[in-house]
Amino acid sequence: MKAKKILTALLASVCVFGATATMASAEEVIKVGVFLPLTGDNAAGGELELRGIKLANENHSTVLGKKIQLVVQDNKSDKAEAANVVARLIEKDKVCAIVGTYGSSLAMAAGNIVKENKIPAVGTSCTNPQVTAGNDYYFRACFIDPFQGTVMANYMKKLGYKKVAVIQEVSNDYSVGLAKFFMDAYKKMGGQIVDVANYQTGDKDFTAILTNVKAKNPDAIYAPGNFTESAMMIDQARQLGLKINFYGGDTWETNDFLEVGGDAVEGAVLTTAFGREMATTKEAKIFLDSFEKQFKGEEPSALTALAYDAYMLVYYGIEKAGSTNSVAIRNAIAANKNLPLVTGKTTLDVNGDPVKGAVIKTVKNGKFVYVDFVQPK
Amino acid sequence: MDKKKNIIFTTVALIVLFGAACAAQFGLDAYLRRVANLCMIYAIIGLSLQIVNGFCGQFSLGQAGFMAIGAYVVGVFTVPVELREKVFYAVPMNPLIADIQMPVWLALIVGGLLAALVAFLIGFPVLRLHGDYLAIATLGFSEIIRIVITNAQSFTNGALGIKDIPPLNDARYIFVVCAITYIFVTALINSSYGRAFKAIREDEIAAEAMGIDLFKHKCMAFMFSAFFAGVGGGLYGALLGTVDPKNFLFTLTYNFVLIIVLGGMGSITGSMLGAILVTGGLEFLRVFDEPLEVFGMAIPLFRPGFRMVIFSILLMVCVLFWRKGIMGTEEFTWEKFKKFVKNPVGYWKGDEHHG
Repeated sequence: MKAKKILTALLASVCVFGATATMASAEEVIKVGVFLPLTGDNAAGGELELRGIKLANENHSTVLGKKIQLVVQDNKSDKAEAANVVARLIEKDKVCAIVGTYGSSLAMAAGNIVKENKIPAVGTSCTNPQVTAGNDYYFRACFIDPFQGTVMANYMKKLGYKKVAVIQEVSNDYSVGLAKFFMDAYKKMGGQIVDVANYQTGDKDFTAILTNVKAKNPDAIYAPGNFTESAMMIDQARQLGLKINFYGGDTWETNDFLEVGGDAVEGAVLTTAFGREMATTKEAKIFLDSFEKQFKGEEPSALTALAYDAYMLVYYGIEKAGSTNSVAIRNAIAANKNLPLVTGKTTLDVNGDPVKGAVIKTVKNGKFVYVDFVQPK
Repeated sequence: MDKKKNIIFTTVALIVLFGAACAAQFGLDAYLRRVANLCMIYAIIGLSLQIVNGFCGQFSLGQAGFMAIGAYVVGVFTVPVELREKVFYAVPMNPLIADIQMPVWLALIVGGLLAALVAFLIGFPVLRLHGDYLAIATLGFSEIIRIVITNAQSFTNGALGIKDIPPLNDARYIFVVCAITYIFVTALINSSYGRAFKAIREDEIAAEAMGIDLFKHKCMAFMFSAFFAGVGGGLYGALLGTVDPKNFLFTLTYNFVLIIVLGGMGSITGSMLGAILVTGGLEFLRVFDEPLEVFGMAIPLFRPGFRMVIFSILLMVCVLFWRKGIMGTEEFTWEKFKKFVKNPVGYWKGDEHHG
């Protein structure tokens, strides 16, 4: 009986706490909502992006003479939660704009809600074209899958490859999107795709796929996908005596890719959004300095830079709109041109996707090294 | 109280709740309405899992797969034809289905029936297994369903997912589906089939000796379960307005296992209570994710993710004290409710057999 009383008291105290704990803020602030996967499968990505948003908020904390308050919410890497949390940010916290999220499916779940409520949202690294297509209120800071795939196709064509094999992670929307647009662009330029192989997220043995690919005798392999699987695949390819080079997308740019792949991934080439060498804008310097100060010795990830930019898009939107009216902010974000952001000068196209260049990097001596910068057409 | 009175009470309660749903539709803000809708959808799926796991005693973990079927039928067939080209931008939609468009209610029923059909096909070999083996086999099949959906790109758009499903964020609609599910499951469990299910749960050999066709009844429970999971999955897809295969990882099933274990295995009202507690509770605990300042000092524990810690602790406490779940195998009845209202403390004390 006693235990039950304690239990009841415990439950009651949680309830009372939950009901009474509300944020009381006396001063007038501009609230910007942030929703990211801070727990669950995508927590690592969400955490990197939160860093960027917080840095941006520290560097640019006031607009229109008011402080910008971030309201950070976790979407648990779950679509239903993402939808709930965006509704909560809009209804309960009355935010005038939203930043987020990592993961295209999470952003798509939020899409309808921001559209209905006419609250502008800026995605950080949701690359699926469907996120912004047909939704006037969703923008993003990252380039979309078609662009990244096309850039790599151009680059590989320039290198003189004639026959390329594609290996895609079929259960990953990002990989399927990149592969599709890579193939379209590559074929259009007269290149030949000799094989398209599929694997699933979490696969560990790629020898069957690689043996098939090897038999087709391609000049190079385009294999955008998750970093762990890709690194293992490249390693196994080397063991099979496959000497041709691998090309991929921005997901590879992690330490895990280098650690898992080791010597095997030397020479692998990838497209990404951010490179120190291309950080020519003033904002990029501010970003790098403040990042260095807070996270000593760490290399800023592209995700952090993109999240920083997503916040900046909102920031400039509010500044240009001159009010916290969400429709005015939306129009201002859409109208802004040539914004000096961390990942380069940025203009959004009619869909709300940025038109900006891509960085090409390669792995050299266990590090990602800048190779080239490709301007959008 | 006699049976007639019970029915009257229940009917009145349902009408009152429907009124509440209408009020929710117009009175509540979008956030609370969304949470309420999600509670009801999870209750439907919780009930569906309850039929097999709670009443028939077969430990199935296939719910995510059946939900995926329902959600995808809604996803594929309710997206307006003119928007499909944009959604299926990578691989065009298969011409066989490219021009078929259904209203949501029809898609829900078709999704449920398709899920039941798949359940029948899966159940045929799988239901001969018992206990852990059945759990593993059903879990495997739910993953197979998901992988088939991932690879059938011209039908389902594969990993890219489908968006632009006409959003269904209507509390009344979802309430009606939830109420129908509740009434149907209650009627099923109180029928001779339901008693047969319970007999199988208690002792299969004894049940068989009494002349119950084990396979037929298990298969039936499995199909009903899949049907409602399909309908629930369809509503889930329509509520979110988008579906993709990663939604339906096997981990989704654990949500519903949690709901029925918390509510009480073998209790209809328990699983509805469980759905509300788990879904609503997680949202309620969001205050723990927000920064908290006491006398100008920010408490470092209060950061995103903290609510999951609190939630886990609460779950452990619940499981420790209510070993059979909050309701056990009991149901909410008006008699108990009356006793409780008259003497809440005495009712609680006399209720020790629960825990």
